[in-house]
Amino acid sequence: MSTSAETRQLILDRIRAAILPPAKDLAGAAVDYSALPRDYIRRGSLSREDKLQLMIERLREYDAEVIETTPRELPAAIAAQLKASGKRNFIAPAGLPAEWLADDFHWTIDHGLTTEQIEQAEGVVTAAFCGVADSGTIVLHHSAEEGRRVLTLLPDWHLCILRSSQVVQSFPEYFDRLPQPPRLVTYISGPSATADIEMTRIKGVHGPRFLAVILVRDEV
Amino acid sequence: MNHVELDPRFAPPFPQAVLPVLRNPQLRKNVAHAIDVIQAKRAKLVAEKTDWQALRTAAAAIRSHALENLGAYLEEFEARCTAAGGQVHWASDADEARRLILDLLRQEKASEVIKIKTMTSAEIQLNPFLQAAGVDVFETDLAEIILQLGELEPSHIVVPALHVNRSQVREIFARRMGLKDLSDDPKELTNAARHYLRQKFLAIPTAISGANFLIAETGAVAVVESEGNGRMCLTLPRTLITLAGIEKVLPRFQDLEVMLQLLARSATGERMNPYTSLWTGVTAGDGPQRFHVVLLDNGRSSILSKPKQRQTLKCIRCAACMNACPVYRQTGGHAYGSVYPGPIGAILTPQLMQMHYAQSLPFASSLCGACYEACPVKINIPEVLLELRSQVVNQERKQAGRFFDPLYLGLRVANLLFAWAWLFHAAQWAGRVGLRVFTRKDGWIHWLPSVGGKWTQTRDLRGLPAQTFHQWWAARAKEKQ
Amino acid sequence: MRASLFITCYNDTLYPETGQAVVRLLERLGVELDFRSRQTCCGQMHANTGFRAEAYSQAKRFVRLYQDAEAVVIPSSSCVAMIRDQYPGLFQELGNEALRQEYAALLPRVFELSEFLIDRLGVEQVGAYFPHRVVYHASCHGVRALHLGDRPYRLLANVRGLELATLPNVDRCCGFGGTFSVKNAEVSSAMLAVKLQDVVSTGAEYCTALDNSCLMHLGGAMHRQYAGMKTIHLAQILASTEEAQAEAAQ
Repeated sequence: MSTSAETRQLILDRIRAAILPPAKDLAGAAVDYSALPRDYIRRGSLSREDKLQLMIERLREYDAEVIETTPRELPAAIAAQLKASGKRNFIAPAGLPAEWLADDFHWTIDHGLTTEQIEQAEGVVTAAFCGVADSGTIVLHHSAEEGRRVLTLLPDWHLCILRSSQVVQSFPEYFDRLPQPPRLVTYISGPSATADIEMTRIKGVHGPRFLAVILVRDEV
Repeated sequence: MNHVELDPRFAPPFPQAVLPVLRNPQLRKNVAHAIDVIQAKRAKLVAEKTDWQALRTAAAAIRSHALENLGAYLEEFEARCTAAGGQVHWASDADEARRLILDLLRQEKASEVIKIKTMTSAEIQLNPFLQAAGVDVFETDLAEIILQLGELEPSHIVVPALHVNRSQVREIFARRMGLKDLSDDPKELTNAARHYLRQKFLAIPTAISGANFLIAETGAVAVVESEGNGRMCLTLPRTLITLAGIEKVLPRFQDLEVMLQLLARSATGERMNPYTSLWTGVTAGDGPQRFHVVLLDNGRSSILSKPKQRQTLKCIRCAACMNACPVYRQTGGHAYGSVYPGPIGAILTPQLMQMHYAQSLPFASSLCGACYEACPVKINIPEVLLELRSQVVNQERKQAGRFFDPLYLGLRVANLLFAWAWLFHAAQWAGRVGLRVFTRKDGWIHWLPSVGGKWTQTRDLRGLPAQTFHQWWAARAKEKQ
Repeated sequence: MRASLFITCYNDTLYPETGQAVVRLLERLGVELDFRSRQTCCGQMHANTGFRAEAYSQAKRFVRLYQDAEAVVIPSSSCVAMIRDQYPGLFQELGNEALRQEYAALLPRVFELSEFLIDRLGVEQVGAYFPHRVVYHASCHGVRALHLGDRPYRLLANVRGLELATLPNVDRCCGFGGTFSVKNAEVSSAMLAVKLQDVVSTGAEYCTALDNSCLMHLGGAMHRQYAGMKTIHLAQILASTEEAQAEAAQ
């Protein structure tokens, strides 16, 4: 039985032998890579307002609750959403802005919570990295204000604060915003769903069954 | 606890395997319904995406480029993933992959494992192997637990339980989850699954996943899903083992801007699937602290070495070809006798088996080309089907027994006849005379023996006309003089 | 305008009336037609069943035979697809450079019938008269291999008296697929049943197509099931005139 190192060499040798004329090295490949055809739409053509309306429309198609507000009204909007949820115990990522932690609710800040502790929470509030209007996708890079992945997975209710300046129209535009590729990513496009039983779409299999988004119009 | 794995070594040939399926109205109805739903959604979204063809072109080019430089990109992936805290292992074949994974589980002292659906693991028949070694494997996709608890086989890549209806699901859940008062409402059934699985997610510290894409540039792995069980398995456990075919690699993170726009639209008719997770090695405080990638060859490097067949490896497992295929619409997936069914299965399965098995699959197609039209990475499936057909024939024609096979004999004779026009004409005359005995008064043939009988099972054949076209032409030319 | 007719092996044997219609039609349009008596088969049946060496010998024969033809007209989209899509691979694998060049020179002069009429002759109105309700079956090779697009529909739109029915699921394969129809007869028949349901639902008197192969399959089931509908190759509709209709009525 071969060691992993031997198998590794075996497979790489097979691959090398499989490509004729011989494949280039990584640098050579990079040259070919840059010449690959990319005639697809890389930038959307909607106006800023239409783009935001599209984002809202897509989110509502997923049955997400969408509220618009201004930066000044944001804390009040958050409080209103939390109240409307009928829940009391919320989790917040360690880096969530303090003014978002509305009074009259019980907050547990994630300074290394256990899974059991997270299970106690009824909802979670986070920021986001980006929103993609074409597909109504919320992009989380799990920074300090977005929180660890488990925070947006176990609680049943998720309130996401999305700034209008974070919304792009097309998926490629999101990639253009990255100084470098992220280490951890979750793309959320609606609550979880299954159509496994007779093709009947049922929402909320695992993960939050309720998503609310506050769109903060932070662009002048 | 396991459903039986579809094994090409033991599956009956396709023309035989379809017979029970064609006689099963429930299955055919379920399959057709599921396909129609997805196709309608897909058509709407494709029409809306005005750069659809440009995306396909880019995706095909990216995937071809990745395959042509596979060695370099795999090594880059390995280096990046390792630098980020992951451990990369290589498995030459199914056997090695299974033992490798079991070893990793034993190192963890894991007696239970939760799994996200991955066809690669079904390809190497991982579950029965682990079960036999004393590891309890818990599938967590809704369709997979339906199949696992019901001990059934999957019939479709993306919607594996589409052949199981709600009352069948109710029966399985009630029995296996001990829920006597369960109704057959899909919402209630899904809820039952949610609760059943949550206990497993929170308790079992070891998970096995597949991968939709491996990103060479960063060493990241991407998993695309709808239900959320993926996120559970990828985030909660202490140890994660990801099994991935070597062909899954993409050069750069940015390539996802093309692939993700195509994948969900092709697979389920959505603009984007609910959840996509991407992680790089190990991140302190977030997710599994022990992460292993098992890179699997199992015949892929062999396919890579054949220029005409290499395009098979571009596949991103979206199942668009299955949804477009008129043959699949009639037969569902079981008849292909493989974890990879439909058009892609018809070319991938025999190739993974080095053409020793599944030789009937390349012929399980009318060559209509709908699959090629639908494929987001432009795999010319009909072209590969034809190539594999000739390989199967070249294998078979050497066998002594085949010489008198009516089809082989007939085609050999036909070739001879087509070489000389006079011989062809003589054969036409002989055919006309010979078929007279089968031709009824209305000029039609209702029954033929041997291979012809396969035609007349369901179709009549008009009797051969008294005069061929070339005879008519010759007569007309004579008349003109 | 001169052209050479490649009738195809199965039309020669089973559907000579289609060939006769092509002759009538093209001569009416002023084409000087020739018919090379040495022709037999394009090799498709063998190629599609995996007999490449045999297909190659037929392909070579075809190219040599039509070397000097001004144009080759073929009333069968699957045969044209064979010549366009599979000949290159066969000649690359089994042929030599001279043969590849002969083929390359011939290729632009090979036409499927509707292509010949619209692209080469530049006509859509061929003076046809066919006062019947007709449904058009778009064969897969025509749609996906030859990208015929709306050519057949434009020709049909100009046939006087013809009422064209819309076929649901028009892009779906009828299940013929050459030897698939016997090697996988049960699946082929299942696909046929589904297709026939769509075709019969149109209430047309005739089902037409550019390929007699599909029509043989559809028509065979129609006849078996006493469906009342008949099949007819598009060439025969286009060749049909008032005089021809009157003749037929007598």
